[in-house]
Amino acid sequence: MSGIEINRRDFLKVMGWSGAGVALAACDMPSTVTLEEGKEEVTAYILPEEYVIPGIGVYYASTCQQCSAGCGIHGRVREGRVLKFEGNPDAKINYGKLCQMGQGGVQAHYNPDRITKPLVRKGGALVEASWDEALGLIKQHVGPESALSGDKFAWVTGTVSGHQAVLLQAHLEAMGSGNHFVHEVINNAVGQAVNSDMLGETQPTYRFDEARVIVSFGADFLGTWMSPVHFATQYAKFREAPRGILVQIEPKMTLTGANADLWLAVRPGTEGVLALGLANTLLVKHKRDASVLPAEVQEMIARYDLDTVQRITGVTGDRIVKVAGWLDSQSPSLVLAGGTAEGQEHGYETAAAVMLLNIILGNVGRTIVSSGDLPYAQMGPKSGNNQALLNFAETVEKGGLEAVFFYNTNPVYTAPSFLKLTDKLNSVPFKVAFAQFPDETAMRADVVLPIHSPYEDWGTHVAAYNGTQIGVQQPLMEPLNPTTHGFGDLLLEMLKLRKAETYGGFADYYAYLKQAISALPVELAQPARLHDAQWQQALQTGLIPVQRSARAISAKALAVNLPDYTQNGQYPYHLVPSPRLGLWDGRHANIPWLQEAPDQISKVVWDSWAEMHPATAQKLGVTQGDVVTITSDQGAVEAKVYIYKGIHPDAIAVPLGQGHEKEFSRYAKDRGVNPLKVLSPVRDAKTGELALYGTRVQIAKAGRHEKLVKMGGSEIQVGRKLVATVTADVFRRTEGGQDVA
Amino acid sequence: MSLKNILENWSHYRRGIEQGGHHKYEHMWGMALDLNKCIGCNACSVACYAENNLAVVGHDRFAKNQVMHWLRIERYWDEPDLDKVSDSTSQYQEHGASFLPMMCQQCNAATCEPVCPVAATYHTPDGLNAQVYNRCIGSRYCSNNCPYRLRYFNWFSFYESSWPAPLHLQLNPDLTVRDKGVMEKCTFCVQRIRVAKDKAKMENRKVVDGEFQTSCQQSCPTTAIVFGDMLDPESKVSTLWRTHQVELGKTKQAKQNRELRGYRVFEALNTEPKVMYMERVREV
Amino acid sequence: MQTKDINEQIKWAQINKDVLSSMENPRMAYWVAVAVCVAMIACAAAAVGYVYTTGQGVLDLYWPEMWGLFIATFIFWIGMSHSGTLLSAILHIVHADWRKPIYRFAEAMTTFSLMTAGLFPIIHLGRMWNLYWVLPYVSDRGIWPNFRSPLAWDCFAIFTYLTSSALFLFIGMIPDLAICRDNAKGWRKKLYTVLSLGWAGTDRQWRHFRKTYLLMACFLIPLAVSVHSIVSSDFAMSIMPGWHVTSFPPYFVAGALYSGCAAIITLFIILRYFFRFEEYMTIPILEKTCKLTFVIAMAWSYLNLIEFAATWYGHDAAAKEVLWDKFTGPFSPYFWAMLFFGSVLPFALAFEKLRRHLPTMFVVSLLLNVGMWLERWMIVSPTLSLSYHPFAWKVVWPSMVQWAVVFGSFGWFGLLFLVFVKVFPSVSMYEVKEMVYHRRRAHEEDQAKIFHRRTSDPQPAIDTPSA
Repeated sequence: MSGIEINRRDFLKVMGWSGAGVALAACDMPSTVTLEEGKEEVTAYILPEEYVIPGIGVYYASTCQQCSAGCGIHGRVREGRVLKFEGNPDAKINYGKLCQMGQGGVQAHYNPDRITKPLVRKGGALVEASWDEALGLIKQHVGPESALSGDKFAWVTGTVSGHQAVLLQAHLEAMGSGNHFVHEVINNAVGQAVNSDMLGETQPTYRFDEARVIVSFGADFLGTWMSPVHFATQYAKFREAPRGILVQIEPKMTLTGANADLWLAVRPGTEGVLALGLANTLLVKHKRDASVLPAEVQEMIARYDLDTVQRITGVTGDRIVKVAGWLDSQSPSLVLAGGTAEGQEHGYETAAAVMLLNIILGNVGRTIVSSGDLPYAQMGPKSGNNQALLNFAETVEKGGLEAVFFYNTNPVYTAPSFLKLTDKLNSVPFKVAFAQFPDETAMRADVVLPIHSPYEDWGTHVAAYNGTQIGVQQPLMEPLNPTTHGFGDLLLEMLKLRKAETYGGFADYYAYLKQAISALPVELAQPARLHDAQWQQALQTGLIPVQRSARAISAKALAVNLPDYTQNGQYPYHLVPSPRLGLWDGRHANIPWLQEAPDQISKVVWDSWAEMHPATAQKLGVTQGDVVTITSDQGAVEAKVYIYKGIHPDAIAVPLGQGHEKEFSRYAKDRGVNPLKVLSPVRDAKTGELALYGTRVQIAKAGRHEKLVKMGGSEIQVGRKLVATVTADVFRRTEGGQDVA
Repeated sequence: MSLKNILENWSHYRRGIEQGGHHKYEHMWGMALDLNKCIGCNACSVACYAENNLAVVGHDRFAKNQVMHWLRIERYWDEPDLDKVSDSTSQYQEHGASFLPMMCQQCNAATCEPVCPVAATYHTPDGLNAQVYNRCIGSRYCSNNCPYRLRYFNWFSFYESSWPAPLHLQLNPDLTVRDKGVMEKCTFCVQRIRVAKDKAKMENRKVVDGEFQTSCQQSCPTTAIVFGDMLDPESKVSTLWRTHQVELGKTKQAKQNRELRGYRVFEALNTEPKVMYMERVREV
Repeated sequence: MQTKDINEQIKWAQINKDVLSSMENPRMAYWVAVAVCVAMIACAAAAVGYVYTTGQGVLDLYWPEMWGLFIATFIFWIGMSHSGTLLSAILHIVHADWRKPIYRFAEAMTTFSLMTAGLFPIIHLGRMWNLYWVLPYVSDRGIWPNFRSPLAWDCFAIFTYLTSSALFLFIGMIPDLAICRDNAKGWRKKLYTVLSLGWAGTDRQWRHFRKTYLLMACFLIPLAVSVHSIVSSDFAMSIMPGWHVTSFPPYFVAGALYSGCAAIITLFIILRYFFRFEEYMTIPILEKTCKLTFVIAMAWSYLNLIEFAATWYGHDAAAKEVLWDKFTGPFSPYFWAMLFFGSVLPFALAFEKLRRHLPTMFVVSLLLNVGMWLERWMIVSPTLSLSYHPFAWKVVWPSMVQWAVVFGSFGWFGLLFLVFVKVFPSVSMYEVKEMVYHRRRAHEEDQAKIFHRRTSDPQPAIDTPSA
């Protein structure tokens, strides 16, 4: 494998070329070693490389890999070490801003629990091995000699895009396999399905900054929905004078809900009914033009009068009228569906009902606009979902899979227990994990290849949302551990096993990438430059501008079929496994900063908890800190109760992210529970996506009381002027803008 | 020290905040924080951990409040009865939460400064409330006398527990890792101020507004945090203070328009905080 | 029933013999007491060692409660120190001669409780090895302590008070040390020879001695008042609700005298019992001490009420909240206990029957001091845990490490006291003789008046005090 090592001199040369570059010297030396001990390589300091100036921090552009939003980052590098991530101001996703998960990227990079040596399963246990041994095993099992081909082979990955996606696809083709399971717990698959059916485009662009009213059904766009930092930058504009109105409708308060002007608790799964109720009010009370809707849709909407909607959703009529009034008087508006609204058995129908509102209000083309097409379709993102996980489990169960490669995903942790994935995986004879951390999946693999952290690796990324630039991922420092390898390099190596004639010419992934990017059409670079300059510019800015071809967006109103709300006598409550901006789906549980950063809503740290409405708590006779057992038909989890009024009384929310196995990280060990495990096998009827929020549970007192560790004493202001609130009309009077009629 | 000197100093030191205080300022770094925009996402707080070598204390120590977050996001609910439902209170938090990012307010009449027995905390000519870690003996009086409770004490040596190798490679060499027994708090990223001032000095010019950002300001996705020099009348932060009619050096604020959103926390205590908050806005 | 403060017929030699014998031949009980004290100190020393090897966090102090029991106990011991000054200096000036048999140990108590108190601010420091930075020594860099800080004032005040009270104790002992010198052998002889500074009991020496003693007494009274006022300004000078109280200096001084007097009653009973000092530490003297304590208790209760009223009428919402929290919040059991021990229990001192019953007085005096210790805790902790900023409200029970140090401080005080009673006379021999002489004179004069004797009649033979 020495062939793919980037020669240090060459590397420096490249960095030097890249403009404000600095050489990455001496980073493999522990900084605590002193000259006196005679262990240090003195030359690095006495004869510094051209760009190494001790004490001066230099910034390199790269792309954040903490979630799949694809924010551009600048890594601050000093004395060869990357110290901090900051947003890349040129990046059109995050405009120089960065969320806490992005900030935590450095701790993922320097994580003390990273895998540094290849691991090979011997006698049932994973033991350290040499690269030669590990790669030899892979060659033996999936190399040309193995005769493995077709659907006996599979890749299971998280969202991939850019040249990695291209190479991955090439590898699958080389293997003759169509098995690529792209799995993300937090996804927008149902919404995208509705988008393509009703708008003719999978992922349109939303103009939060243009909207005067945003009504969001469970779409936590400030926290966990698609591209939160991007949406937050737009939200800031939305909140400037004249200041738009945000209404959030969901069973459990998300970060977006916490910032809403009006937060409405809705009975889980009835969001679609509420949307139709709003549509009804708009058509009947506000005499909105119904002609944009086909007759059968009009008929359907007519069935949802105020009384019906109140009865089903539990939202009072005056609130519905108020929201409808805002939607009618303020234009343009934007109505979104996501998260809890979509993750239901009838999630597709719900999202479609919400889209009808946009059609009635004429938002399509105004606040919902076309994103255009990416000129290089093969580089486009392969966005993950949970359906892939279900399909993977089915494929494994069917048998015949002989080798599976895992990358950037942890299905053993995220798979609900009804899938019995852990047991089923035993039937796959050869499993390879390309892993940075000893997570649950890696620990069950037969070969674990330790890969570079994203911040010492090469790559390109195209964001699923707002992918107007290709994000260049370049190393911010030399590899921390000399025994890890880049994912792209390994992928190339896998390809060389099968397609040496095409890929044999590339020394490593860096060479491939350089050639690929230099070969992009010159006119795309701004300003136009030579091909080679394009590569340099890409490294310098971390971004390659993309001209997405224009596309018209058109709306097609579809009739939806929503069920009435049904009680479940045995399991009366709805489980909301709520994602957190922080630990995300659990992948960041090994980052101490994010464990210690309190949950935005409950302010709990380092733990799992169960959010509960006081009415429910009274009924069950529990107080804050009491442990409850939450039982679904698939199992039970226990969590301490946090009581507040930001949740529907029929719902109980347990956050995602904790409950890891002890090998994963010292920081995630013995921390909380994983609510994904108890999910029921409920799928969205139309798309087949797992209904993440469709699980019904019963709650019982566990009879224990434990301290709920959270930040802060009082939850109310106790008469102090800490956060003062003014009404929007005062704001508009003093800071501009018209009053809402 | 001549008698004349002493007398001059004496009369100088006797000047109250309404007479401009007894400090001679080169800069006066201040902040304006818009709670209409703040979404409480925590990005600033974690960015502060990254920039300022803040220790992670872990679950058990967090349980005892032995925590080191220089910038904390406080969350308050509007509904007074959190764990009760009654007819008099509404059933839901219909207007969401109230978020309040709290970092050292860098008071011009700081209550922490006079009580330190060894003068480890003092006012710099930059208008910062500086904490000299080397001088601190850990009497913790400053923290006790801070009405905002924004000073954090190193109850332990966190070096090994918080940065096990190779996490320690992330530590910012521009500032220290504080050892046990020392008080610490938000510095308005004094290391960044230092760099910017040095650079301006080398180029023989003044520090330009927006030339550098504090770590929290930089990461804030909604640009809710504005930071700058309050002595520069053109700076964004000065403009905001002026627009919202909040003034330093006044024991009683003379707001012409009482509807303007600017206010400071615990203004009545006259500690002269240099962080102005702008009120949260809700439609109803 | 014993009504006289002291037996007027007691012989000088008897006094010498009684007091000197208390300094010799420690019995088994003494050694047991020493062992207990040493064990307590070891316990505290281990705790402090643990704190310094791990960190102050093991005390379960936290943000925002940064002080806790250490500072509370510090004020408690400072308070204790005021009793000696009260008895030896104030009562000396007002010629209350019943103080004479008991002031010596009270004065020793002053010095030792100061020596105990001073340890607390030192061990509570995060970096105690830098303690000397609080002192205004001349530094090359021209760095001075912050003279605006009440903690720096504390440092000066306590040092001054400690030196002065130790000096006062020593000066007052010189005539007695000479007696010891004359009666001692071996190392004690050498020690007392040095310490008695060549005292021969000459007229000239006595005149100088009296003047010095009076001067020191006058010097010490304002010092004692100022020390506790300065300690109170640690709190009163802050802006925290519940601390920022104008009446704190007199309140602290009253509390100090109160706990000091209560401690005198405790030690009085212990010394009387173990050293068989029934002749000197008589019931009438105990009664007088009890009455004094009762008066101070009432003054303290009054000042307490003033504090409540000032807060109540003061329109400072936060201060009201803290006060209300003391009555009803998490600290309320301790607050009510403090009010009971501090303001209700002292009424036991108002009844003659109870006052003359030693076991009762012993228990009552101990409980009074429990109340006073709680008072200090109730000053420090509620304000820190529950002040302006509601987000920082938090109450955590102090860890065993804190309690161990507090507990050990009593052992340290006890050990110092135990050493003192065996090395120095715990009853002032020369002053008891004076007292007996004056009482006898007064008695004879009364008798003379009763029998209408002429002044020219020969005086009855009276022993002259010998040194």
